[in-house]
This record gives sequence, structure tokens and C-alpha cells, in this order.
Amino acid sequence: MLTFIMRRVAAGAILLVVITVIAFSLLYLGSGNIARTIVGQNATQEVVDRKAAELGLDRPLFVQFWDWLTSAVSGDLGRSWFNGQLVAVQLSSRLAVTLSLVIGAILLTAIFSVILGIFAARRGGAVDGTVQFLSILGFAIPGFLIALFLVLIFAVNLHWFKATGYVPLATSFTGWLSSVTLPIVALAIGGIATISQQVRGSIVDGLSRDYVRTLRSRGLSSNRVLYKHVLRNAGGPALALLAVQFIGMIGGAVIVEQIFALPGIGSLTVQATSAGDIPMVMGIVVVTAIIAVVVNLLIDLAQAALNPKVRLS
Amino acid sequence: MIRWNKAAAATALAVTAALALSSCAGGDTGSDERGATLTLVALSAPVTFDPAGSEWGNRSPFYQAVFDTLLLATPEGTIEPWLATEWSYNDDNTVLTLTLRDDVTFTDGSKLTGDVVATNLLRYKEGTSPNAGSFASVTSVEAPDDTTVVITLSAPDPALLNYLTRDAGLVGAEASLESADVATTPVGSGPYSLDTASTVTGTSYTYTKNPNYWNPDVQHYDSLVINVLTDTTAVLNTIKAGEANGVKLNSNDTAAEVEAAGWTLSANELDFQGLLLLDRAGEMNPALGDVRVRQAINYAFDRPSMLTALQADRGTVTTQVFPASSSGYDPDLDEYYTYDPEKAEELLAEAGYADGLTIAMPSMSVFGTTVYALIAQQLADVGITVEATDVPVGNFVGDLVAPKYPASFMALEQNPDWQLIQFMIAPPATFNPFHSQDPQVDDYLQQIQFGDDATQASVVKELNRYIVEQAWFAPFYRVAGSFATDPNTTVEMLPSNIYPAIYDFQPKQ
Repeated sequence: MLTFIMRRVAAGAILLVVITVIAFSLLYLGSGNIARTIVGQNATQEVVDRKAAELGLDRPLFVQFWDWLTSAVSGDLGRSWFNGQLVAVQLSSRLAVTLSLVIGAILLTAIFSVILGIFAARRGGAVDGTVQFLSILGFAIPGFLIALFLVLIFAVNLHWFKATGYVPLATSFTGWLSSVTLPIVALAIGGIATISQQVRGSIVDGLSRDYVRTLRSRGLSSNRVLYKHVLRNAGGPALALLAVQFIGMIGGAVIVEQIFALPGIGSLTVQATSAGDIPMVMGIVVVTAIIAVVVNLLIDLAQAALNPKVRLS
Repeated sequence: MIRWNKAAAATALAVTAALALSSCAGGDTGSDERGATLTLVALSAPVTFDPAGSEWGNRSPFYQAVFDTLLLATPEGTIEPWLATEWSYNDDNTVLTLTLRDDVTFTDGSKLTGDVVATNLLRYKEGTSPNAGSFASVTSVEAPDDTTVVITLSAPDPALLNYLTRDAGLVGAEASLESADVATTPVGSGPYSLDTASTVTGTSYTYTKNPNYWNPDVQHYDSLVINVLTDTTAVLNTIKAGEANGVKLNSNDTAAEVEAAGWTLSANELDFQGLLLLDRAGEMNPALGDVRVRQAINYAFDRPSMLTALQADRGTVTTQVFPASSSGYDPDLDEYYTYDPEKAEELLAEAGYADGLTIAMPSMSVFGTTVYALIAQQLADVGITVEATDVPVGNFVGDLVAPKYPASFMALEQNPDWQLIQFMIAPPATFNPFHSQDPQVDDYLQQIQFGDDATQASVVKELNRYIVEQAWFAPFYRVAGSFATDPNTTVEMLPSNIYPAIYDFQPKQ
């Protein structure tokens, strides 16, 4: 097991280096007149040159990358070119917002997917049909449309929630809840639609297996067979899908954060990439890559815990 | 089944509780605090709070909240005392002497003195503010005593007083300027101070009232929040949900919806949009060196239709780059070139381009695709083909001033006269990248720079007419920059800035 973890960590580290090299090269090639962008259209060429020198842009690409990499390894991701703030500081405050959304959405996805999946699989008939129809609807409607619909109904018309902006949890719990509920629901609906179908399919498939018949013949109750055996087997694929959803939601948060004007990683990504704030974009790339690697590792471990066969493979 | 019912009941209870809690929260952010807190929406966040890196325009409220300027620009278009109570020039307008207030204290407890102001002005000149070049003619700044500052210039600068009403005139406490946190923790003498603990950089800025402010008459609120919203939908949702008091609209497309929500729109016409015919000597495209070709381009555009199509009729068609607030403004020049494609074709034929010509221009996603389609279509109608190159947003201005294109569509701010001249007409101006020079223009510029007020006013008018006749530009219209206020708030627009002064927001009585 330890070798398995070590191997995955090493692969993750290599992946990180490859990603940073590619990202840095692409960003640098597209940066063009970044010093002019920073100081604006009114600035004289002298001011532009002064800014470029101040940012070290007059040095060769390799030197810039090497400086960035050696600092990043020690935890220093540099400063934003546009607001002078430490990238690590800004990322940590933004990450709290995005993780609020994504973790909330994943929890909601996991809970409702399992409930709906079991409900549809056990009841069958019209109930199953309805759940399937709603799932297809939730899957087919784009997340941003769901977000717009939610904000229009529950924030603009009913004033139940905030339409825009974020209230930190430390400032006010109710304010925080008011600012994250709609974005979480908007993010979760697509995931619930996907995973509830997966759970339903796995349960239906599981219930028709021979081992279920055997267990029943030994006198185990239906609930015990379902929750202790069938659901456990269905959990592995669902967990893998949940991991993909988690990583996908960090990307999906871009649109939701824009619509709700939330100061998360998504909106920061849009701002930083459109402005050409390379240190900030590199910080985002590194953090999201680390999250992806860690989540995959955790899911592998969870699957191994659920199913011993995974450990053997 | 019993278990399921319990689970369903528990879920329903949790959801109801959450809704009730958040419903309370929604209510809290509304009426109770209205009047006590002014919540504004801006389109862009400040790059830095260091006064030496500051800029104005859409970012002005962030700075104005915490810093004072030496002079004040008013909604009436005048320049009034602020930190400086009096000012005077020497005979040849090369030495400006300012008298400072003696009762101003920064929020760190230090006093405003001549030395502090001199330090700020010299830092600005050496800094990386986009407008740092406006101090190019400043040769020295001295403070003979605590209430006097003397600015010496290498040559007269008729825009200097205006500069001191903006970013160049911001004054920060001396100790803070040497601090490592100068970019993030501003210390000024302004009506509010930045609450860094409640501020999320780039997104939301919270300010609290400065209890020791020297001019409490302009502190109309106990606190100030400025949220940065760039997304049009989010801006509209904020307005409809009543989550702000004043919002700068990023597009006139939403104006009707904003008014339908019960908000009031105020507007000024600060920017013009149109073509910059940069290659006036024909270095890159010989055709543009012929004034008849440049005039033909001006005759090719149906400006009223473009205003309707692109700005929902919110603005004024024009063919001049000087604004209505300028002493050089001439109402006749708003319609100097009317839509006349036949005349355009005649002029092109006279210039030897009866078979048409091609002009390379850059395009950028920020302006949308419609404007470029209209430009290409209207020029094609008179025989001019546009060779468009899509340029990344970050490179657009850099490519223009490089210069890499002989002409381009652009939106430019119409500053006060001398500032505008230094921005887009004088040989070294940023938006005169080919350094176009004309003896007649040079003569006008000389007279404006060294003349008295009356001379400046009359010569700017002559310069304006000459620039229009020579078709240095092909402006389409001045765009109405709209600012929305909720039913509880009033505001007065400035003629010289896109964002109103924070002193001019007041709770409606």
C-alpha cells in the first residue's frame, strides 16, 4: 500500500512539473506587451519600460522560469503583477470561497445522488421514470442557465438569498449561507443528475446478481442486502465519478462565480488570464493541479478501503 | 419506510431552517443599513494603493475614499481648493505656488506638510502610474515651509492644475510611502480609511468613516463598500436585488432594464468612439497620407445609425475629438462630415483610388464583433477594404502605439484641452504613434502652451477645426457613460471623469 501511495505521489510531482513548464511557456508566449497592459494606455513608453524592468520581463524566459520554480518550491509563488499582492495570500483567501462551493456541492451531490439512486432503483415504475426524467433534465440544462434561473427566482424576486457577493463564514454564518446556497445548488444539480443515474444503475445491476439471491436465501433482510452489500459494491464507481465531478466543479465554478460575483478561484482565473497576470495564473495552475492529484489519490485510497481487490491490483 | 420518512422529514427540516436563516440574512443586508453604508459597484479594482502607481477613471473612488487630492474637480467643471487653499503661477507660467491647509491630519496621526506633498509629487513623477508622464515637465518640487509647495516646470503646462485634481494630486502619509505594505495598506487624510480585514483584494473593498476628517460636510455615510463586478449579468442582478446604491454600468444595453427596476440613470459623455487615422503621413499606408482619403473615410459612416445600433442611441454623434465641455468645442463640428458615400467615392477617385484601396486594422474582442462588421461594411460600400487582424486584448494598445497599424477603431477619453492634446494630438502623444506633425498644428500648440487663458480658449477652437478638416480622426459619437443610482441615493456626474466623486453621493432626503 505504501509503495502504491509513493508511486502515485511521484507521478503527481512529475505531472506538476510538466504542467508548470507547459503553462509558463504558453503564458509567456502570449504575454506580448504585458507591461503596457499593466500601466495602461495613458502611460509613456518610459513608464512601460520601467515597469517591464521592475517585473523582470527584460530577462530571458528560462531565467524567469527558473526563478519562479525555485521560489515556488519553497512556497513563494511571487506577487501579482496587477495588484502587488502575494499570490499565495490571494490564492488562500480565494480557495476558501471555491472550496466552500465545491465541497458543499459535492456533499449535496453525494447525499442526493444516493437518496435518489436508491429511491429510483427500489421503487421502479413511475417513480423511477420521474427520477430519470429529472436527471436527464438536470444534466441537459447548462449550469449557468440553472444559476441564472436560481438567482432570478430566489434572490432577485424572493430576496431569500444574496444575488451577488460573498460573506465570509467568520463574519456571519447566515450571511455566508445566504451567499453560497444558490451557487452550491447550481453547481450540484449537474452532478446529482449524473451520479444518481450511476448509483441507480449499479443498484439495479447489483440486485440482479447471484450473490444477492444467495444472501436473500440465507434470510438477510432486503435493507441489509441493499445497504451492507449492494450499496458497498456500487460505491466504488460512484466515488470515482464523484472525484471527476469534484475536479470538474472547480472548473465549473468559473461561470458560477462570475454570475454570483464570488471572489473564488474561478473568478480569479478569469481576471488573471484575461489580464495576463502570469504569476497569478501560475499559482492557480499549481494549486488546481495539486488538488486534482490529491483528490485522485484520496479516491484511490477510498476505493481500496471499499474493495480489497483494488489494493491487489 | 419509516426510516425514509424520518430522513425525508429531517432533510425538509434542514432545508427549511437554512432557507429561514438565509432569508433573515437577506433581509439584514437591505433596509436597516441603508444610508449608513454607501455600497458602490466599480468595473475595475485598483492595481495598487501606492499613490505613485495610482490611476483615475474607473478606479478613482478607491483612491478618493482614502486619500485627498491637492485640488478638487467639481461637477460644474471648475477646479476648487481642497488640500491646497490657494494657487498662483509666476508670469511665464513655469512656477506654480500652492498654499496648503494647516489643519489636515493623516489617519496615522501625522500632519500634512509641504515636505509630505513634495515627496508625494516627486514619487508620482518617478512612479509607474499610467499617467506619470503628465509630470514630464516638472523639474523640481520644493517646500519652503509647512504650508507652501512650489512646483517648477521646464515649460508651461496648461493641464497641471487638472492633473492635481486626479491621481497626480493624491497625497499619502509619508511613513506609509516607505512601508512594505504601501501597495495594500493606504494611509491618507481622506474621508474614509480602508478596512483591510474586511477587504478582499480585487473583489470587495470596505472603508470606515475617518472620525478626524477635516471636512465632515462631505462625509455623507458612516461606511463605504466598493464591490468590483465585471460581468454584465452580475451587475444587473445586483441592481435588481437592490444590493448596491450606485453602479457604474459597463454597457448601455442594460439601461432600459435598469430604469425599469426603479433606478435613476445619470450620464456624461467622456469618451468618443471612432477610427484613429494614425498614419497621416502615409508611411505605412500611402493612401492615408492623402487628406482626401481620410475625409472620404469620414464621409463613409452613417453615424446616427451606428449610435442606434451600437449604443442604443445613448450618446451624441460627432466628428470632433474635443468634448462639449472644452473651450475648443464647436457644435458645428459634430456634423462636419455627414453620411455621404457618393462624396466619399468622389474624393477617393480624386486621390487616385477609384479602384479602391485596402487598410489594415486590428480588432479586439472587448469591443464586440458588431462594431467591426459595421465599419468593414460601410467602408466596403465606398470601395475601401478592411484587412482585419484579431489582436489579443493584452496586446491591443501596445500594438497600436508600437505602431503596427495605420488605423484602428478605438474608444478614447476626452480629457481637458491640454491633457487631450498631450494624449492624442501632440507629436509625442501616446495616440499619435506615427508622431504626425504639421507646421500649422505646431503653431497652434505653441500658442496654447504659452498663451494666456483667452488665447488658449480661442486657439484650441482653431486647432479643433483644423484637426477635423484634416481628418486626423474619424470619430463616430461621444458615448453616454451611464451611472445608476437606487431610489434612495442621489449623485452628480463629473464632466472630467467617468466615475462620480464619492463626495457627490448623498442619501436622498
